[in-house]
Amino acid sequence: MNKKTTYLFYTIISLLTLFFIQIIYLQNNKSMTKEMKEAKIEFVQLVQLPDLAISTEATYVRHRSLADIFSIYKDDGNLREYFPTTFTYSHSQGYK
Amino acid sequence: MIKEKINLYLIQYAINAILRQKSKNFFILTIFILLTFLLTSIFFISNSIKYELNSTVEALPQITVQKIKAGKSYDIDTSVVDDILTITGVTDAVARVWGYYYFENVGVNFTIVGLDTYENQYKKSFENIVKKFDLNELSENSSMIVGQGVFESFKKGYYLQNYFNFIKPDGSIKKLTIAGTFNSDIQLESNDVIIMSKENIREIFDINEDKTTDIVVKVANPEEIDTIAQKIKLIYPDTRVVTSEDFKVSYQNIFNYKSGIFLTIFIISLFTFFIIIYDKSSGLSSEEKREIGILKAIGWTVDDVLKEKFYESFIISFLAYMIGIISAFAFVYLFQAPLLREVFVGYSELKTTFELPFVFDFQTLFLVFFLSVPIYIAATIIPSWRTATLETDEVIR
Repeated sequence: MNKKTTYLFYTIISLLTLFFIQIIYLQNNKSMTKEMKEAKIEFVQLVQLPDLAISTEATYVRHRSLADIFSIYKDDGNLREYFPTTFTYSHSQGYK
Repeated sequence: MIKEKINLYLIQYAINAILRQKSKNFFILTIFILLTFLLTSIFFISNSIKYELNSTVEALPQITVQKIKAGKSYDIDTSVVDDILTITGVTDAVARVWGYYYFENVGVNFTIVGLDTYENQYKKSFENIVKKFDLNELSENSSMIVGQGVFESFKKGYYLQNYFNFIKPDGSIKKLTIAGTFNSDIQLESNDVIIMSKENIREIFDINEDKTTDIVVKVANPEEIDTIAQKIKLIYPDTRVVTSEDFKVSYQNIFNYKSGIFLTIFIISLFTFFIIIYDKSSGLSSEEKREIGILKAIGWTVDDVLKEKFYESFIISFLAYMIGIISAFAFVYLFQAPLLREVFVGYSELKTTFELPFVFDFQTLFLVFFLSVPIYIAATIIPSWRTATLETDEVIR
């Protein structure tokens, strides 16, 4: 095995090691713990509202899955006639 | 044993072949890394969000009843609760009061949720999810619990004290003190939420006692949810009845849509990439053709040439794939996906920290692998094979 091949093998092995170390680190430090999950469930049970606070989308409003079927006010956050705006899919079986 | 199977000399030759065309191969490697990195990052983000959503979906109300009038949601009569309770199979129906409060100074919407006064039943929940918890202050009634994002918006809006003034519809002010903030563990759910008593929220939004925002229904047997939803719809045709199954579908839609956009962009870039590769390799440069010709002339078989080409393309594509996914993991879970997260977050001012839960997803890794590595190898080997099967003197000439 010449130098270049050795380097190549070392690179591949170190990449694989890095990959597994990363997986183990993330698994231990960044995955959702049981306590966290319970706290989340407890919160959702308390508030009883769907969706995450990140899916605020264009209309600045959350809870897409409970939102209006359509809305003409969805383009500007400054619009006041606001209540549940935003677009959502017509997913409700009850509405058919 | 391994040495017998893998011809090390061929690998050496492949490395040298790669290094002979450094700039071209380096360019391919970079593009390849970027592609795998981008695609895996997007899949990781949307998988984590989906996981986050799905871990709480069971806790959502089984049936939600909203009144729809002229295509918009309206407040529903509180008396509807009593009618729903008479339906067989319904164990509980609760009138909810909630809504969005627009805080003009900072330009954000808060979600305000009303609870039936702070009773002991909530005490345990609060202990788990609220930090800086002070039950005495809560029981004073004119207080609220806010999410981390809300708390920061208050500060941005110059509310440096421990209170906030809500402006009521008639222009007067309702002052509420902050009793606590939600734990950062549940920030993805609670960032924009304010919890207060139902009396306060009715006052702030000017909702009478006989009206309510919507009604949530609890059903004893989950199998009966659809039937009961239909019954409610029959009794009140002007309502929209959302079941927990709808939530699941909607969750799926939201993130299929988001990652779908990216998949489209990715497919376009992937095709461009393949066209470049195909173009590069189908029109093998005369130099490369001569190389294959000479190799055959000095006694290499077609098999050897293809093996060498295989090693060459495998080294490039596998390195690119590994570097791509390793950096995607770090980018999404360690650095919280700067720039890319904006696509998922939207342009709200009320940003969360985007601390996504890590989910190890074999499927994504396999998908990206099979979309990139074998195809690249094929795109390199096939044209080489075409050249290698020609007569040697024809190739060299």
